[in-house]
Amino acid sequence: MRGFNVLLQKEFREAWRSWKFLWIPLVFALLGMTDPLTNYYMMDILNAVGNVPEGFEMLMPELMPVDLLQASIGQFQTIGLLVLMATFVGAISKERASGMATLLYIRPISFGAYFMSKFIVMSAVGFVSILAGFAASIYYTVVLYGTLEIGPLVASFFTYFSWLLFVIAVTLMMSATFKTVVATTCAFAVIFIGQILDSLVGAFWTISPWKLPLYGVQLMRGTMEMSDYWWSLSLTLVVSIICMSIGILTMKKNASMTKI
Amino acid sequence: MTILLQVTGLTKQFAEKVVVDGIEFSLEKNTSTALIGPNGAGKTTTLSMLTGLLKPTSGSVKMLDGDVRANIGFLPQYPQFHPWLSALEFTEMAAKLNGVPAKKAKVEAQKTLEFVGLGNDLNKKISTFSGGMRQRLGISQAIVHKPKLLLLDEPVSALDPVGRREVLDLLKGLQQETTILYSTHILNDAEEMTDQLLFLRDGKLVEQGTLREVRQRFDEQNYVVEFSTEKEAKLFASQSGLIGEAKGSHVYIEIIDEKPSMQELLQHLSSCPYKIRKVERQTASLEEIFMKVARKI
Repeated sequence: MRGFNVLLQKEFREAWRSWKFLWIPLVFALLGMTDPLTNYYMMDILNAVGNVPEGFEMLMPELMPVDLLQASIGQFQTIGLLVLMATFVGAISKERASGMATLLYIRPISFGAYFMSKFIVMSAVGFVSILAGFAASIYYTVVLYGTLEIGPLVASFFTYFSWLLFVIAVTLMMSATFKTVVATTCAFAVIFIGQILDSLVGAFWTISPWKLPLYGVQLMRGTMEMSDYWWSLSLTLVVSIICMSIGILTMKKNASMTKI
Repeated sequence: MTILLQVTGLTKQFAEKVVVDGIEFSLEKNTSTALIGPNGAGKTTTLSMLTGLLKPTSGSVKMLDGDVRANIGFLPQYPQFHPWLSALEFTEMAAKLNGVPAKKAKVEAQKTLEFVGLGNDLNKKISTFSGGMRQRLGISQAIVHKPKLLLLDEPVSALDPVGRREVLDLLKGLQQETTILYSTHILNDAEEMTDQLLFLRDGKLVEQGTLREVRQRFDEQNYVVEFSTEKEAKLFASQSGLIGEAKGSHVYIEIIDEKPSMQELLQHLSSCPYKIRKVERQTASLEEIFMKVARKI
């Protein structure tokens, strides 16, 4: 892992100076506070808009605190991931296309070290982001609806973080393997079409990385079949490690694609 | 002299096209070599193979004392930097990645940046740099770890005359302690700091040797005598007994095996009744040689 510390410092500086540690968590925080707020004030919003007919009675569903966290995670799963992936999918491919990689690749660095330094900084950005998102969501949920149990909440958070590591591993692997446009397409396909497929026909299996965010919520509800949970978590970690290994190999193989 | 780098049968083929075709040469320690050739001759491809970025289709590059990647500094034609970093941070990173110990790296980076003339811009972000400053930074990242071999791709082509002068002087300062291989199509630069010339054309090494050797091979050695009128030139060419050809008011006399000598020519001229404007021995400039080599079939 030659040069790991140096490269990690470089990646961290870049992410820090381009404000990634600020604006991506902000996006997640906004997403996180949306659902508790809009659901709670739905009646007021409708009244304020003023188109509610006289005598109209609408039955609002009785929401549990955990329902709101699930809704927030649903937001992270679409818009949140979109932002995160779009930001990071060029991490390797754009560096090659612009020629910025050249001055690093000619040195005796290890590609494993370079890949991992990127992975770790992205994971750190991801961690801070979902921390902000969860915090915003939970804050308003607790204020407006009621408390959540802390133990399962932490478990749910780290379950979601494991899923995020998988997303980042897939994104980086695609970036190492393809040019930016193709990498974007492929990474989005794996994550988003994967989600759709898993929700459409996912009833036929119980072990899958794409189910992990939902399983995190079920941990809080206390309805989780624990063996499914552990298998899915393990599978996700194994697949992530495989993606990272492939990423390191293709990054090395594609080193000559860098613009000189 | 000890040989530092040995290149044998280096070939690169992209799909159907052979871009570099079996070139062979060696670089001696602490010499400068210019890789010359028209655009598309394969200069950059050759350099990328030497850096190890590009895998040769066949052939080999051998550094005689160690691994290539650990012992080179490379300046691409258009170096691209990470714009968020400062000049000092980037150079320091370059040094560390090449194994300079962390404590020493910062000091070395600072020294190198001062050497290339960026002493006042150490902490400025690279995104604010001008073209000339980027080129200097490019040189500093290539030399900060004191590599044995310095590879430069068109180091001065993109610079204005002042910048060119300064960068050339910088490189001359490095010549004593480093082996330098640089590509260029600006021949004046090659003429200025070169021990060896490598002429590349269509991926083949068509000429190589010292500037002097190449010159001798390609020089049509001529005396040129200029008369005041065309008529006189014609008359002299036909009467003098020397093999000469008149073109306008000039007579060109070919030199074959140093015959005739300058003395002989002057004897002929002293007895000649016409008015002589100028006598000179013509040597081809590198540019003329370049044109000849570039066109040679």
